[in-house]
Amino acid sequence: MTASAEYARRILVVEDDPHLTAGVVENLRAEGYEVDSVADGRRALEWLDGTPCGLVLLDVMLPEVDGFTVCRTLRERGDNTPVLFLTARGDPADRVRGLEAGGDDYLAKPFHLRELLLRVKAILRRWDWYQSASAAEGGTLRFGGNEVDFRAFRARSWNGVAQELTEKEAMILKVLAERPGEIVSREDLLERVWGYDVFPSTRTVDNFILRLRKRFERDPANPRHFLTVWGVGYRFMSEGEC
Amino acid sequence: MKAPRLFQLTALALVLVSAVEVGWWLLDQHRFAVDKVREMHEVYAQQVGAAQALLDAGIPGERVHALMPGIMVTGQQAALSPDVDRGLIAEERRHIAQYAWEGSFFIIALAVCIAVIARALRAEARVIQEQESFLALVSHQFKTPLASLQLSLETMAMRPLSPEHSSALIERMLSDLGRMEGMVTQILESMRLDRGRIDLKSEPVDLGDAVARVIASFEERAAKDRIRVGAEIGHGLEVMADPLALDVILRNVLENALAAVAPIGGGSVSFTGRRIAGEIELTVRDSGVGFRPGDGTRLFQKFSRLHPGGGGSHFGTGLGLYIVRRLMQLAGGRVSAQSAGVGQGAAFVLTWPAGAAHEAPSSDPTVRSEPPVTGPAARREHS
Repeated sequence: MTASAEYARRILVVEDDPHLTAGVVENLRAEGYEVDSVADGRRALEWLDGTPCGLVLLDVMLPEVDGFTVCRTLRERGDNTPVLFLTARGDPADRVRGLEAGGDDYLAKPFHLRELLLRVKAILRRWDWYQSASAAEGGTLRFGGNEVDFRAFRARSWNGVAQELTEKEAMILKVLAERPGEIVSREDLLERVWGYDVFPSTRTVDNFILRLRKRFERDPANPRHFLTVWGVGYRFMSEGEC
Repeated sequence: MKAPRLFQLTALALVLVSAVEVGWWLLDQHRFAVDKVREMHEVYAQQVGAAQALLDAGIPGERVHALMPGIMVTGQQAALSPDVDRGLIAEERRHIAQYAWEGSFFIIALAVCIAVIARALRAEARVIQEQESFLALVSHQFKTPLASLQLSLETMAMRPLSPEHSSALIERMLSDLGRMEGMVTQILESMRLDRGRIDLKSEPVDLGDAVARVIASFEERAAKDRIRVGAEIGHGLEVMADPLALDVILRNVLENALAAVAPIGGGSVSFTGRRIAGEIELTVRDSGVGFRPGDGTRLFQKFSRLHPGGGGSHFGTGLGLYIVRRLMQLAGGRVSAQSAGVGQGAAFVLTWPAGAAHEAPSSDPTVRSEPPVTGPAARREHS
């Protein structure tokens, strides 16, 4: 699923506490977003099955189906709508679990209103950048026999194997492909793809690069396209480096 | 590691080492007894040889026997006396039996010690784990109303609001504070129940009057949520209970029922009382969101908050029905919950021993050292 201008500012709030839901919905509407809300995970999945939107604010401890499962189900059915977890479970293990389930950001309750609005804006801005950049450049990247369709989150690797890209993999690839031959720092990748403080370390970027190498490099141990610049970051070479 | 736990683990290790030592001692003593008897047999065998040599040398048999009383002389043949042989075998068996009895006693005593210490360690670990999960659950329960409160306050600080919107936010904040106050009350109540710090009276209480009082106190809220609350309880139906605890029970059950009906836009709650074979049964039936039939028991567990498909308000602490169950147990009664399924309503059945009007009181009223905490009643755990 891809977002377009008409629903890029539509947000679904999935929260079972009526007061908190009312407060979040009122404030998002005051910021000009189109907002809907549901109170349990099953209804959220039903709603998202038929209605595209730009962002899901998702509680974790939900009736029927918990938030992690909702997010995982969305990703499994190829829905890359950004998800911001909004939950009372704010310890690092839960944050990692949420992000592993395919979440984009994580905000622990109680939270500051301004921070919530900033994070919503940041996620939508990143998503908007990804969508518009993909559309403007034809949405396809070809390098070393690989072909990546950014809009469909699909790719075909050099050996003909079809690949389903996660939202983060596609965004990292997009950031690197925008600056071929240039060094992109890990911090820059974190900022562009995740935001400022979601992950505890830049090791996460390294793990995603490893995944991209496994998908697109003929010899992942000796990469020719996703090159490490020690102590700094990565350099993408579309033609490959000998 | 805390000092008492270190001490317990050290004691456990010492007892285990002692048990091994006792086992080794037993084995050693058994071997010693067997060796000793074998050595005696060898000594006697040498004596038999010596006696035979004396006989062969022409020494009379009587003289040889006098020199070696353990040797029996038959004609010119020397042999070990059967009495001596039996004595040696009996001595060996006596020693082994003695070690077996003593050793078994020590082994059993040490095994009991090990079991007691291990059980204490397990119990302590369980208590620590329960405390940790209780704290985690409690803090989690508070975060949602806190978040709502913070959001309302920051909204007021950040945005120009109409008087109507401000009033609505203030009402929401007061409600959030009420939720937190209710949680504190219920947490304290459940902790006191867990620690057994509540002694309840057991005296006849008119059930119809108690139900009527509780219904009256919820009249406004029920009307606001378009819920009809009715009671059909025979005159003079008395239960053996503590009046204050009965009030807490009825409030929790009614609040739970109201919270189940409100999300579906209104309905009914009914109280029906009757006497069955020396007991009084009160059924509280609601037309609310219900729950899955298999979840009837889970409802009464601490921090259990089932979520059927009804959605709606989830302001419960997960303690209300737990408190009901504990208070009913202390009153010698019981409580159960049934539902045909999500969206099918629910029935809570409470049963007490019958009061004086039906049967003589079973015991003298006890003096309550600490009255149960009363306060905002529980919300519906299955909503």
